[in-house]
Amino acid sequence: MISRVLVPMDGSEMSEHALEYALTAYPDAEITVLHVVGEPSSMWGSATGLALADDLEEAAQEHAQSTFDRARELAADAGSDATIETTFELGHPVRAIINRADDYETVVIGSHGGTISERLFVGNVAEKVVRRSPVPVVVVR
Amino acid sequence: MVETVLLVGIVASVFVGFNIGGSSTGIAWGPAVGAGLLSKVSAAALMTFFVFLGGWTVGRNVMDTLSGDIISIEISLAAGVAVLFFIGLGILIANVFGVPVPTSMTTVGAIAGLGLATGTLNYETITWIISWWVVTPVLGLWIGATVGRYIYPELNRRFEIRSSEGSLLALDRNSSLPMPTLGPNTTYQELGGTIVVLVIGCYMAFSAGASNVPNAVAPLVSSGALEVNTAIIIATVAIGLGGFTIARRTMESVGSELSDIPLLAALIVMLTASSITTALSWIGIPISLVMSSVMTIVGLGWGRATRPITAREAIRGDTDAELAMGALTAEPDAPVTKIGEAESEEALDAGDLFNPRAIVKYVSMWIIGPTMSTLLAYGFFVTVGIS
Repeated sequence: MISRVLVPMDGSEMSEHALEYALTAYPDAEITVLHVVGEPSSMWGSATGLALADDLEEAAQEHAQSTFDRARELAADAGSDATIETTFELGHPVRAIINRADDYETVVIGSHGGTISERLFVGNVAEKVVRRSPVPVVVVR
Repeated sequence: MVETVLLVGIVASVFVGFNIGGSSTGIAWGPAVGAGLLSKVSAAALMTFFVFLGGWTVGRNVMDTLSGDIISIEISLAAGVAVLFFIGLGILIANVFGVPVPTSMTTVGAIAGLGLATGTLNYETITWIISWWVVTPVLGLWIGATVGRYIYPELNRRFEIRSSEGSLLALDRNSSLPMPTLGPNTTYQELGGTIVVLVIGCYMAFSAGASNVPNAVAPLVSSGALEVNTAIIIATVAIGLGGFTIARRTMESVGSELSDIPLLAALIVMLTASSITTALSWIGIPISLVMSSVMTIVGLGWGRATRPITAREAIRGDTDAELAMGALTAEPDAPVTKIGEAESEEALDAGDLFNPRAIVKYVSMWIIGPTMSTLLAYGFFVTVGIS
């Protein structure tokens, strides 16, 4: 019986599918949505913007909020009575996910998130998580 | 025949200039437009004027390097057109994939490829250029990090730019002579801040002109097919065209990266990048505005992230943390958890934002880009045999 599931979400449609899958496949599990902010981008704007913020925690929370709202919406649509947890991390998505994964039994992740340029800067997150995760990973297509 | 080739060359030049206009207008004016300080049309107009000024003055030095110093023979019209196609290809790849490929590097790479194919590459010049390409990012990073770590919080406390409701200036019609006065809600600080933003935008446009005008036309100038002054005007028109059209979009894409950072930080980045770019263009080194901009951004953020006290404390001034050497390696303070909120499992570490490997990966694109353009141009010129 799987009881703790980590769902990394980048706000893309694919990551929403991952959450939907997790909600149906593990209806009784405690699901945590992880959103990584300040990832590398073409001019490093978002990373530097966060670093320069007066209150890092608050700024990061603000960046993550829309993804969390959407995740809660999806959970409500799925009729899940279990409330989902939300958490965020800074920096490189792969590292952040791997660091967190230890506390969970399964990671459910979308197969790819962004555009070609995002892939160039960040790489294929799902692929790297599969290779390096300490716990089993479900890749949703 | 010659006219047709020249026409094709000019079309290629205009394509290159058009795209440069799009991207550099985004960088130079994105923050100001984003802050609502001026309209996109006025930004494009200012851009065109200062690009011309930069190209006409400092840009000539870069033009000389590109058209005459990298290879020891003149670039024939046909070869020049081919070089322009490689520059255009680089820009196309950059646009389609959203990867910042520095145009100046592609240009030098393509000309060097021609030089290798014909055995006329001036190794002394190319080494000199490449060594500056190594120094520039390091310099940008260092300036950014120093400002971010030691100066930024203090500046941030004193300097506030905001756009209030109502127009900035109004005409005072009560006096005998209509005099401009501050508009409704405008403070002197706002007026001053706005002027600073505009001046720095113009400076950045000037440096963009100095470094980028030659990219669009130098391959055609070398053979004498285009006269230098005519070439500068053609490039300016093309860049302006890009500024008035596609820059509307780039101000939201490239400009939005810059607007992710506070306006003050964006101004520091612009000032640093423009100064580096203008200085190097002055001594004839082709350099990209993007390169110094990005490294200054990374430097600022990294410098700030690794600082041992938070900005809020620095702003209040109620900290006595010393900026001694030992403090530089200290962990940033853990964020205070507000009452009623779940305890965060571990403190957020702003240093995580700047993963060295991600930065290295980013910088490697600056090595791959020009290398590819050199190899492609070399292969092309060897196979086709134009010289």
